[in-house]
Amino acid sequence: MTRLSPGWPKVTFWRVILFIVLLAGAYSALLRFTKGLGTTTNLSAQFPWGVWIGFDVLCGVALAAGGFTISAVVYIFHIEKYHPIIRPTILTAFLGYSLVIVGLMFDLGRPYNVWHPLIMWNPHSVMFEVGWCVTLYTTVLMLEFSPLVLEKLPWKRPFKIVKSITIPLVILGVLLSTMHQSSLGTLYLIVPHKLHPLWYSPLLPVFFFVSAIALGCAMTIFESYLSLRAFRKQLDFHLLTKLGAVAAVTLSVYLVVRITDMQSRGVLSQAFAPTYEGRMFLAEMLLGVIAPIVMLFIPRIRHNQFGLFVSALMVVLGFVMNRMNVSLTGMDRSSVSQGGAHYFPSWNELAITASIVGAGFLLFGLAVKYLDVFPPEDMKEIAAGKRAQLPALAAFRAPLWSATTGAFVMCVLFMGASVALAYDGIRRREPAIHLSEGSGTVDLSRGLAELKMPGAIAIKMGPDSPGQCFFSHARHVNSKDPNCSACHAGLFRMLPTTPDITADKKMRNCGVCHDGVKAVGILQKERCDSCHLKS
Amino acid sequence: MDTQTVARKALLFDSTRCIGCGACYSACKEKNKLPKTSVDFLRDHLSADTFTVVNRRNNRYVRRMCMHCNEPTCVSVCPVGALVKSAAGPVSYEASKCMGCRYCVQACPFNVPQYEWDDPITPRVRKCDMCRNRIAAGLATACATVCPTGATKFGNRDELIAEAEERIRANPTRYVTHVYGIDEVGGTSVLLLSDVPFASLGYSTDVLPQPLPHLTWNVLHKLPTVVSIGGVLMSGIWWITRRREDVKRAESESKSSRKGAD
Repeated sequence: MTRLSPGWPKVTFWRVILFIVLLAGAYSALLRFTKGLGTTTNLSAQFPWGVWIGFDVLCGVALAAGGFTISAVVYIFHIEKYHPIIRPTILTAFLGYSLVIVGLMFDLGRPYNVWHPLIMWNPHSVMFEVGWCVTLYTTVLMLEFSPLVLEKLPWKRPFKIVKSITIPLVILGVLLSTMHQSSLGTLYLIVPHKLHPLWYSPLLPVFFFVSAIALGCAMTIFESYLSLRAFRKQLDFHLLTKLGAVAAVTLSVYLVVRITDMQSRGVLSQAFAPTYEGRMFLAEMLLGVIAPIVMLFIPRIRHNQFGLFVSALMVVLGFVMNRMNVSLTGMDRSSVSQGGAHYFPSWNELAITASIVGAGFLLFGLAVKYLDVFPPEDMKEIAAGKRAQLPALAAFRAPLWSATTGAFVMCVLFMGASVALAYDGIRRREPAIHLSEGSGTVDLSRGLAELKMPGAIAIKMGPDSPGQCFFSHARHVNSKDPNCSACHAGLFRMLPTTPDITADKKMRNCGVCHDGVKAVGILQKERCDSCHLKS
Repeated sequence: MDTQTVARKALLFDSTRCIGCGACYSACKEKNKLPKTSVDFLRDHLSADTFTVVNRRNNRYVRRMCMHCNEPTCVSVCPVGALVKSAAGPVSYEASKCMGCRYCVQACPFNVPQYEWDDPITPRVRKCDMCRNRIAAGLATACATVCPTGATKFGNRDELIAEAEERIRANPTRYVTHVYGIDEVGGTSVLLLSDVPFASLGYSTDVLPQPLPHLTWNVLHKLPTVVSIGGVLMSGIWWITRRREDVKRAESESKSSRKGAD
């Protein structure tokens, strides 16, 4: 750690990483807005939505889940003990939505038209609803977040106004979130023919909503732990333990409904089929849902700082994996069956996504540093504590067989397995299925029996023409296997109602073939009568 | 122009009559002023510069283009109404409204809409618009106009369905006894006849018989109800829980004041 000059931030490992990521992101952004999506991404007509939608949008929006869940608990249900968690969750939600909007700026082909859904209505479109939800909820979050900034300013009036409308804002926020979390699932209801049955379900909106609530709890735990490590600021551990329990219960409900739904649709057996999708599904469910449920229901793990953190992290990773499976894994098969490629994000797509996430961490850090995100009284408590007493460090010194070590191993396994499965799946899938062209010849008899070629077409006569010329389709076309495209659209127009064929000495049109080599040349004076009628 | 009285137009493609001459392909390129995209048109595929193709499948020539669904998925998913279904049948696109979300590309059950991936600022969705302005002028589509064998025929949808069924009736041994496009995804304005299974020609036979937009509308139309009930419910819960606390506070205050009096 060297100090460059007074006032400069310290050079640390994570800051260097962040700098490199942001640099790669900036280059990719430049590429996106100068060369287009085709150069920057691996998207195609067969795979039009990639990691920017799958991760940035689907997961970014879900970051807001903590915000609306905790706000509802505190303001609507008046369970005041959760009050200290509100600010960090609102901050996360606000950052999540801002990042979604930034992500969309890259993904939308015409980002400057992003406001169009506000005035050009199509209530039948899920995307229309999503557009409105993003706009309205970002506004609500901005207002909910604004007291943190306003209280630092000398003017008290705006602060009071915002405070006075808290309850309507919270109710509006909860409603918008419910709509928005579920509508991201509804987006995929329209592709029953494309999304793999392991993930396609009429209940997708419900699954998206319920899993978002579990993620909201997990993210709050996750952030609190990171804040503890980075800023020595943390929430009451007891509350976090309770949140862990809530996440476990929510996830259990989610698990039961999902399995029941699959059973009723008769696709449960596909989960155990030795396919790419089957393995990704099992990884998602076992490591991202079942394992954290079990861990969170074991009091020893839940009440341990590190155990709770790892369980929460697994919920978060499981959630991300679910959204990636819906948007990427589940859609891969359809892309390939259309003759498209396997989608795997380009490094530019990943760089922009990583930059957005990095910017999120950066903004979160700045907000924690300069605004009262965490309640001041908790801050003092931890600042007074000694570094050696940090539970995370204690966990590293715990015996090998402890629950926390187990949790850590599980988490590493989780990440390793997902990456290995995805890589293996992409690498080993059979090549694109191309519809067979057939091996024999095409029977043209029925078509040829109906063949009607245009009659003789008079060619416009020039002033020095030796006589009228007619073009005959019958003489020029192989009547056993006609190829109209040989001359049409390129050499001669075919749509004018009155033929407008001209031939001139510049060897265009007729002259392309009638050049004296391929056919009688239009400039061969001795052969005029091959085409021109003698007058 | 687009009133209910306009007869719905359609294209009937009979794969048994197609000789793979590429007239439709070339006329489409000419009509839409599209650049050349391939050396051999039979090996071309739909793209931002190719709205229809003739490919060889299962020893037949078969066309692919926008199906102009009766209840188009693309029109339903477009958040800004950039895609429009006209009464006469064509599904057309207006670039100035588009924000480039590509939900239409994602949602189309026939994988038709294409995108200008290499345009960084003003990319468009590209697809066949059934020669909308030719139809408005009382003309047939470019592809049907130039087809030398009648494999692609333009007309009123009702009449073409009747004709297709008549062709099957007249030649029951030749044709598959099904006109593709009468019921698929709620009906399309492109109808297909074939003597081999449609799936072998690259036409998906497991598309739903109902229009896909219903899948999302079933959820979306409930939202106003959910929002109003949810709003009232939450306001109610808020009021009750606050009231309960007020009462509790008042009770404890009165208790303590009584104590003070004692």
